[in-house]
Amino acid sequence: MHIKCVRSLLLFGLSAPLLAGAQGAPQNGGDFSDNSPTKKLPTDVILVKGAWPSSSDFATPLPEGGRLADGVYKNQYFGLTYALPTDWTEKYTGPPPSDTGYYVLAQIRPADKFKGKSKGSILIVAQDLFFTLAPAGNTLDLIYLHNKGLSADYRVEQPPTLVRIANHSFVRFDYGSPVAELHWRVLATQIRCHVVQFVFIGRDIKLTEDLIEEMNKMSLPEEAGPVSGRGGGDVPVCIKDYANGENVTERVDPLFAERRFNPVPVRIIIDKEGKVKHIHFLSAFPDQAKAITDALSQWRFRRYLRDGKPLEVETGIMFGHAPRPMTSTAKNAATE
Amino acid sequence: MKTTKLALVLAFLTALRFPGIALAQTDPGVRSNTGINAGQPLASVSANPNDLAFFQTGLAQFNEHQTVTGDNPGLGPRFNLDSCGACHSQPASGGTSPSSGIFPNVGPNPQSQVIANGIVNGSTNAIPFFVLVNGPVREARFPFFFDQFGNANPNAPNGGVEDLFTVSGRSDAGSCSLPQPSFNAARAANNIIFRIPTPTFGTGLMANIDDSTLLANHAAQAGNNLGISGTFNHNGNDGTISRFGWKAQNKSLMIFAGEAYNVEMGISNELFPQDRPLPGEDQLGSGLPANCLNLAGIGYPEDITHSGGTSASTVTSDVGLFVAFMQFLDQPTPSTTSPGGATSIANGRRLFSAIGCATCHTPSLATQPSNLTPGLGNATASLFSDIEIHHMGTVLADNVSQGGAGGDQFRTAPLWGLGQRIFFLHDGRCSDLLCAIEAHESNGGEATTVEAIFDQQLTPSQQQDILNFLRSL
Repeated sequence: MHIKCVRSLLLFGLSAPLLAGAQGAPQNGGDFSDNSPTKKLPTDVILVKGAWPSSSDFATPLPEGGRLADGVYKNQYFGLTYALPTDWTEKYTGPPPSDTGYYVLAQIRPADKFKGKSKGSILIVAQDLFFTLAPAGNTLDLIYLHNKGLSADYRVEQPPTLVRIANHSFVRFDYGSPVAELHWRVLATQIRCHVVQFVFIGRDIKLTEDLIEEMNKMSLPEEAGPVSGRGGGDVPVCIKDYANGENVTERVDPLFAERRFNPVPVRIIIDKEGKVKHIHFLSAFPDQAKAITDALSQWRFRRYLRDGKPLEVETGIMFGHAPRPMTSTAKNAATE
Repeated sequence: MKTTKLALVLAFLTALRFPGIALAQTDPGVRSNTGINAGQPLASVSANPNDLAFFQTGLAQFNEHQTVTGDNPGLGPRFNLDSCGACHSQPASGGTSPSSGIFPNVGPNPQSQVIANGIVNGSTNAIPFFVLVNGPVREARFPFFFDQFGNANPNAPNGGVEDLFTVSGRSDAGSCSLPQPSFNAARAANNIIFRIPTPTFGTGLMANIDDSTLLANHAAQAGNNLGISGTFNHNGNDGTISRFGWKAQNKSLMIFAGEAYNVEMGISNELFPQDRPLPGEDQLGSGLPANCLNLAGIGYPEDITHSGGTSASTVTSDVGLFVAFMQFLDQPTPSTTSPGGATSIANGRRLFSAIGCATCHTPSLATQPSNLTPGLGNATASLFSDIEIHHMGTVLADNVSQGGAGGDQFRTAPLWGLGQRIFFLHDGRCSDLLCAIEAHESNGGEATTVEAIFDQQLTPSQQQDILNFLRSL
């Protein structure tokens, strides 16, 4: 009986669209639909995305691919595992990567059940050194520039200083706002030519110091430090501007169907044979990503050798309309 | 007993330290005790009789009510209202949506009065569900086209303006018979979004900020430790930074005015020379029916430059006059004392910067030399905007793409004149500043951390200072 009932419902379900069609439902597809919709668009979903991140495959980890689960933030791309303080959580995910290579990896705050006396924020961000607007080639450069560019609203509480966190070197920079009675603690290290920054914001200095102390529990890749790029293991060596000059032995320019004016920052991984193995679009319209993918698949590179052995190389290429040329004082983002 | 006394002492001391705790922070509301602080021409315009004549003629044209035929022809066949100034009226001509009973009492939402005022025929037009007497004035868009079953099709982006009213049934509209868009079906499909009028005070200054200034400001803000990035929308023709409209989709005031005249009032002009069908009418390959074309009987475009004019202001087209009026409008004058007093406002201004609001809401930008009037040149535009587009996340996303801006990207709304605005955000969903601030945090939004600082880390008195500062603008 039950099975028959299900069958009847199924048949009815299958025939409903046909019945609707037979009754002449499709009057038009424009502004005047007077049919009763059977489906509602979801709320609070971004369906029209504009320039957005994408990649050539789903297997290769991406910087924005980190996730928070069971109180632990893990980012496979950066080789980073960070256990959140007790009763802290991420309520809202961050925006997509910017066209200047800025990532909001996690925005962490006390959960509703948090019982502490004062609250704060932990922001984990990363700046891709291949695409930064700042003339910075490494962590120290970038944090010194932040220090130099600090507005009059803030007071430096400790200039950029090298510290050890979780057995890795970080640059620490402390500043605060007297009027807001808030303190910023920035701890930055470099991984795969990105400056990964932990930003603690709060009123309570002791709470913040406790949170920083807890950072010692996190695990980081071997290369994490003020300057990085050597790669190792599954991680390619990162080299700024590798896709230039004699390194490129075959080059095909993308054919764009539509003229646009947005910057299109692209990170690629070149395999040991000199072919493009992986493409990551930080920000691109789908048609741009398609055209660039078609072109890059035809590019060939000189093999990169270290001690006579070929290595994979990760580098960046800016297609489209670059926001601003790097200044002449910009330094290379790699140690190679 | 001792414990009770100690608790009372602690409570007293806490109240001294954080006086705002006793009274929760509130939006002071529309500033009404300083007069109307917007809508005046630049001083250099007032000082020049020719420029002032242009401004005043533009103002009159801005407020003129259009009809299908007659002395002010061209209205329709579809439109949202019959006058620029009816929508852009709070707190003065050039502003934004009014509401009854709120200073300076401009009046009810004029869209709610179109039948009563004889602008549309009540037997052929209904007031859409989202047009309320107390506002805000709204235009509607369907983010997606409908499929044949009446469902919104996410693979078919639309996003064009769906004009609210038609001329059908008016005595001057002949046999033109057009239906209104299916707003109720769109609501049922969750396929409708709204926009309210952007205020135009100070827009001549915004137009006169060079791209290099905007780019330098963008670079200077890159070191924020707040999760904010931003980018620019660009004009599709020359690639320069566009800046007008909720998504910075329009390059110039001329384009802004020409498009609005065509889209909002249905008047063809030298920038948009045809009557505009709805997106669906074009999609179906039909366009407007023949009996709805050339209703004014004067040919196209309906608004033109008049070669027979006898003075600059009588030669100039309506669109040209709108531009003259808007570009010569001075920026609103903030108050240094109201609401909340000078100390609170000054403190709120510093807090606004310190917690990161000013990263996007850039307090001021310098203009370049002006060939129009001295007041626009080498001036300080206190617009509180970087004119960049930012991801605002899922709460504010409207799934409409304009130029390079995606469904959740919006231009940083300029805050000058905020103290005398009634409705906030692109769709006017908030009339309380706290509601507008709260909407800044959501999944995928750039302002989430800043909003969390405001919400969780400031004391109520600090929050009140920021609210007072905002209402002083």
